Amino acid sequence: MPSLLLELGAEELPAAACREAEAQLPELARAQLGVPPARIYVGPRRLACLVLELPGRTAEQWVKGPPVALREQAAPGFAKKHGVSVEELEERDGFLGITRPGRELREVVPEQIDRIVRGFSFTKSMRWDESGIRFARPIRWVLAKLDAETIMGETSFGHRFTHGEVEIGHADEYEARLREAGVEPLAEERRRQIVAGLDAIGSWTDPGGKLEEVIYLVEQPLVLEGRFDERFLQLPKRVVVTTMQSHQRYFPLEDNRFALVANGGDPEIVRAGHTQVLEARLEDATFSFERDAGVGIDALAERLGSITYFAGAGSFAEKGERIHRLVERLGGGEASLEAARLAKADQASELVREFPELEGYIGAEYARLAGYPDAVTKAIEEQYLPDTAGGPLPQTEPGKVLAAADKLDTLRVSFGLGHRPSGSRDPYGLRRAAIGLLRLALEGELRIERELLPDQVRQFVEERLESLLEVPVEFVRAARASTVPDLGGVGRRAQELYRERDSPAFEGVYTAYERAHRLAGRAEPEAAPRIDSELFVEEAERELAEGLARVAIDGNGELKGSLESGAELAPLLERFFDEVLVMDEDPTVRANRLRLLLDVRDTLGSLADFSQIPP
Amino acid sequence: MIIALEHYWAEYGCVLMQPYHTELAAGTMNPNTFLRSLGPRPWRVAYVEPVIRPLDGRYGENPFRFQHYFQYQVVLKPAPENVLDLYWGSLEALGIDLKKHDMRLVEDDWEQPTLGAWGLGWEVWCDGMEITQWTYFQQIGGFDVELVPAEMTYGLERLAMFLQGRRTAFELEWAPGISWGEVYRENERQWSRYNFEEAPVEVLGRRFDEYEAECRQLLEHGLPLPAYDQVLKCSHTFNLLDARGAISVTERAAYIGRVRGLARAVAQAYLESEGAEDAFAAA
Repeated sequence: MPSLLLELGAEELPAAACREAEAQLPELARAQLGVPPARIYVGPRRLACLVLELPGRTAEQWVKGPPVALREQAAPGFAKKHGVSVEELEERDGFLGITRPGRELREVVPEQIDRIVRGFSFTKSMRWDESGIRFARPIRWVLAKLDAETIMGETSFGHRFTHGEVEIGHADEYEARLREAGVEPLAEERRRQIVAGLDAIGSWTDPGGKLEEVIYLVEQPLVLEGRFDERFLQLPKRVVVTTMQSHQRYFPLEDNRFALVANGGDPEIVRAGHTQVLEARLEDATFSFERDAGVGIDALAERLGSITYFAGAGSFAEKGERIHRLVERLGGGEASLEAARLAKADQASELVREFPELEGYIGAEYARLAGYPDAVTKAIEEQYLPDTAGGPLPQTEPGKVLAAADKLDTLRVSFGLGHRPSGSRDPYGLRRAAIGLLRLALEGELRIERELLPDQVRQFVEERLESLLEVPVEFVRAARASTVPDLGGVGRRAQELYRERDSPAFEGVYTAYERAHRLAGRAEPEAAPRIDSELFVEEAERELAEGLARVAIDGNGELKGSLESGAELAPLLERFFDEVLVMDEDPTVRANRLRLLLDVRDTLGSLADFSQIPP
Repeated sequence: MIIALEHYWAEYGCVLMQPYHTELAAGTMNPNTFLRSLGPRPWRVAYVEPVIRPLDGRYGENPFRFQHYFQYQVVLKPAPENVLDLYWGSLEALGIDLKKHDMRLVEDDWEQPTLGAWGLGWEVWCDGMEITQWTYFQQIGGFDVELVPAEMTYGLERLAMFLQGRRTAFELEWAPGISWGEVYRENERQWSRYNFEEAPVEVLGRRFDEYEAECRQLLEHGLPLPAYDQVLKCSHTFNLLDARGAISVTERAAYIGRVRGLARAVAQAYLESEGAEDAFAAA
């Protein structure tokens, strides 16, 4: 059975489009050709696949028509629709129909290729001519080889500058012919060559994950080593690394060395050119760095009054002042207060305008240059952490306090202006800020009083606990209704409730809460404002009141002790219900008893809203 | 270098134009690109454009940032099938041996929200240096283009630095014995002072309103071409106000929205007048 090679030649496809095509091509080819491709070739100028053992003809197709019994009524219509006469219809299993003969592959392949091309779906696509076809970049040639026979197009093309047209004699020769023409068609092989080349140069790094992109930026990887002038080592390290990685897609090595992957060319010329470009960029960064350093971090901080944080939220100077106050309220010490004063200073720097992703880090570098102690510079550097879902937390106490204050301010200000995230839209990153705050409280063990969060913000932040904690949401909701005063405490309370859910003490408290709530909850308006022991008639109610007075709830402490103390009410409450009629005829006695039950409920309820938890 | 490009593209059949007569932040804004990319008529053009970007000025102190520099702009509409080969040919005409260098097309999609325009394309890298911005327009003034134009914007200083092996634009030889720095450095210093310190904010704010009103009025009189000049003046006035730090974030979005609205209205009027001309020609 023959092999089929399909190649779509395109103008340089972006790396992201290559990856999308790589994911879609196998299924598109299988759906059209009936056989999954044995090989997939994806690169900037071509998407290709090789299908082995393809049937030379497509299969016969039985087109089912009406049942034989309806020959009179339905057969003429069916026959007409398919362009045959009634006599030509065949019978099979009680139905009329026609057999479509299989077709030669060379006839159907052009249609199949057309459907494959149109089947791709790219995040970004374009039109380029009258055909109306949309693709990531213009398609410039198509080649289809059925073994040695060319059924579409004429030739393939080699490396853009060193080789022109490439004759592919047979579908099986595709890889070999392209390699001769300066193209490595297999993405995996290009990756292997690049990694081998980098390994041979030294201990390379790739913090920005550029390798995945570079594989699709070249057809003929040429890995080279370069060295930039040592004077650029005075720049903050991450500025150098970011310049190499995000602009130029280079791989930093140690000291002033770097590796680059070119798409061919004369190694000496290419190395010299790239080195000069990198040095020009570093020179530009140095220019900004020296100007900033000349101003100094304290003077930069004084310029923040003229830089808007965002519309309605005042300037960065005002944000800095708010953060300073929040740091005070979070109990931050000297270092974190100093860091708060300088935290946003780098927003006034030229270097952050060039490298916005290095905010915080650049401020820390400038603070270091100005002689501030490590505790302060570290906190400035860590203020945006955690910046990803599972990303690291600040390591230092001042860093944690500053990071929490920054997030608190963002949330308070945004909600104050009515900017709530909706659906997938969250332009101010409020979900990330909320989760960061919770992680600082839970994993970072930073005490964040709930009263620092206005109602809406508190609800929004605490709702995130439902997805952050690995306990059923009912327990989180129960804990949120407790009087635990700090954010981390709420999370821990939810976990404790879940852990204790089967303990006798939990059962006792749960039942007592539920019974008191069921009976008195709805009659709350009738209840007395406070218990009057003079009005007690029965021994059981007096005992319950005394028991209630003994209950020791520790708002900050472990739940277990409080539960055990609260559970002591359970037998007293049971006796109360056995012996006392709450709905006494005397309204003052009745109101007093209702208050007693409500106090039982609310005392236990300060631990959690047990009504949230299903029995 | 400019002469070599002019020769090359003239030979291909491009109309050679001169720079436009009012400040532009990009060669794309020249009506020979912006308006001519719309409508059903083929178009081929090449020209030098001095671009004015007040915010990018650095008082002539930074050898890599200027508020005034040059682009060489080529637009082929519709883009011929061999358009990339034509472009590579232009580099060869400049004396670049493509086999010896690391030439690459790196994804870079272009968007200009103030003009309601976008396209897909690349930045062209020559040994890691971006020498050309390359775009297939998809929308202009909020309208889908009928014939997809290819736009090639050569960065002339960059290209010259590469060809002359100079590290900064200041050192470029602009003519025998005359450096780019000698010609333009003082210009940068004075204009940066104007852009950042002296441009009269109140007057500019008033002018923006006047240009906007005039644009609307000209559109009512069926004059999209003069109306487009007012869009360009609005855009440049906005850039100056921005450089003066006179625009808050909220105002910024509003200003951009106003310019985009004008650009769209002009594009629409232009398309309508093009349609009228075609009808006339057919009659």
